Amino acid sequence: MAGRLLRGCGEAAALRAMGFSEEQARRLLGLQPRLGPQRREAAAAQLLLLGLSAEAALGLLERSPGLLRMPTERLQERAGDLRRLGLGGGQLQRAVSRCPQLFTLPRRRMAAAVRLLREQCLFTAEQLREVLATCPAVLLEEPRRLHHHFQYAYFRMGVQQKEMVKARLFQMPFAELRNRHIFLERRGLYQTPHKGQTQTCNPKLKDILQLPEEDFLTSLASSTREEYEVFKKLLAREEEEEEDRDALYAEEDEDLDSEESKTAWE
Amino acid sequence: AATAPRIPATRLALHHFDTSYSLQLKDLWPSVRAGLLCEQKYGALLNNFSPVSHVTQELELLNATDFVSEAPKKVQQLQCGAAAGEAGRGEGRSQEGSGEGRTVMQAETMTQAEMSPVLRASISPNIKCYTFPRGDITRFRPARPDTLGLLDYYLMDAASLLPVLALNVQPDDFVLDLCAAPGGKTLALLQTGVCGHLAANDISISRTKRLYQILHSYVPKEIRETVSVTSCDGRDWGQVEGGTFHKVLVDVPCTTDRHSVMEEDNNIFHRRRTKERQMLPMLQLQLLMAGILATKPGGEVVYSTCSLSPLQNEYVIERAVEIAETQFNINIHVEDLSHFRTLSFFSDCRLGELVLPHLTANFGPMYFCKLRR
Repeated sequence: MAGRLLRGCGEAAALRAMGFSEEQARRLLGLQPRLGPQRREAAAAQLLLLGLSAEAALGLLERSPGLLRMPTERLQERAGDLRRLGLGGGQLQRAVSRCPQLFTLPRRRMAAAVRLLREQCLFTAEQLREVLATCPAVLLEEPRRLHHHFQYAYFRMGVQQKEMVKARLFQMPFAELRNRHIFLERRGLYQTPHKGQTQTCNPKLKDILQLPEEDFLTSLASSTREEYEVFKKLLAREEEEEEDRDALYAEEDEDLDSEESKTAWE
Repeated sequence: AATAPRIPATRLALHHFDTSYSLQLKDLWPSVRAGLLCEQKYGALLNNFSPVSHVTQELELLNATDFVSEAPKKVQQLQCGAAAGEAGRGEGRSQEGSGEGRTVMQAETMTQAEMSPVLRASISPNIKCYTFPRGDITRFRPARPDTLGLLDYYLMDAASLLPVLALNVQPDDFVLDLCAAPGGKTLALLQTGVCGHLAANDISISRTKRLYQILHSYVPKEIRETVSVTSCDGRDWGQVEGGTFHKVLVDVPCTTDRHSVMEEDNNIFHRRRTKERQMLPMLQLQLLMAGILATKPGGEVVYSTCSLSPLQNEYVIERAVEIAETQFNINIHVEDLSHFRTLSFFSDCRLGELVLPHLTANFGPMYFCKLRR
């Protein structure tokens, strides 16, 4: 018993030396208590090196205690990968604070998402940087879903990459984007641009995505909450039945290479 | 060589409506448009020829109510709420029903009250139609047969019942349904149980088959025998049986707006049907004239369409009233139906009533107007 107490004191002291307060050190020691002190200190140190404050690092570890078990080399490596993608300094801190899974995401998955964004969605490196800074969670997204999300904005809504980045396309869940877009479309307020048409009177994607729902309804859709609520229910039912229909045809259809990918709707 | 890509008829219809209805309905058009493009709301017309009590129980458990008996209660609420309900236009407020005071909006509440005698006296009796509350998108289960094989209810657009209610069928009336197929309104007429005789006509033999099916599925033999089904051109009716009927329903062929934006099949906006579509107002006028001529003096005609277009609605009424006067020396009085504005959303018309589709009560479009000879 005394031994444990002594060890505890020793660990706490080390953490204090790194910059944690007594209270913070106590909280940190409470996470994964059976973990060796070296691991704990090393993980905490890595996060501090990234520039996170003691409180931010602690918060991150409390939300994702699994990080404590990651070898520090991997933490370092991943931080490096993210930096190479363009997430520097404060952006990196914010990104990992918001999305701790950026550390635990398998390398292959991350690479696939990046490849998709660069090679298929054709975002420039600069655009990718900004996307990652504003919506780091894109890396966590299943590539097929991500692609579907992108294609919807590109083909169905006629929006170019530049506008997608400015509007922070991936910050809004796909289902919500679809609800707002189709609501506008059916009200006659949004039109898919025709080939060659550069100018449209469509509302800007930025406004569609970033306005809070109340303002979206009054200023863009000129509608009421009640109408929108009913609309969302009706649309959800339409989708459900479309999925059922697609599933039925897929069973009958030998050739599974359909243009409509089988991504699940949100 | 590839053929030119065909623009779907539904897209042509929608474009046509965008052009004309946005001018006509202004601020209201986006809501109506969205309503047309989403799943419509149905009502369940109860079959009085089949035991109904367990069905009404079932429906009420699901929170559906009979809008026909609810309607008069709302007339009173309307009168209180009318001032509040008519909002100014163009202020960007998301107030429901705003639109230069042209739309009268009713909230559906479930208060129990006595049926207003004014309304009760002026609608066709015994018709019961259940609908789910405003904003509730629950679907009715398919109709089921009873022990005698008759179906328990008929699913239809609740707004389609309004012309039948407006006709105000009285006991022993001779009733003519000039364009009866496929038969929903005909069935509703029979549900009143008071038609002395019902003549159901439609020019199309194939659609009349559907009418027969409906009669067989819902109506017992002895009642069916009181209905005479014919397949004539309705325009000839005035000459054949002038001045015979107490009540005439003229539910004319029209651009079936909702169908035209949703279904490619049988769509009047197909390029090859352009001539037919352009001739519709003339056809509608001729049918209405025939209906008027078939009415006894003092009798009543209800004209109805499922289109929003004034060319098929008010204009036809106006022309018919004029022609009746000038060419047939028949004086026509257009009846006031404003007490009907208790279901869903209405738009002000010069003549008659127009039900507008709206997501929260997605019935219609339905135009109807009552004339007394």
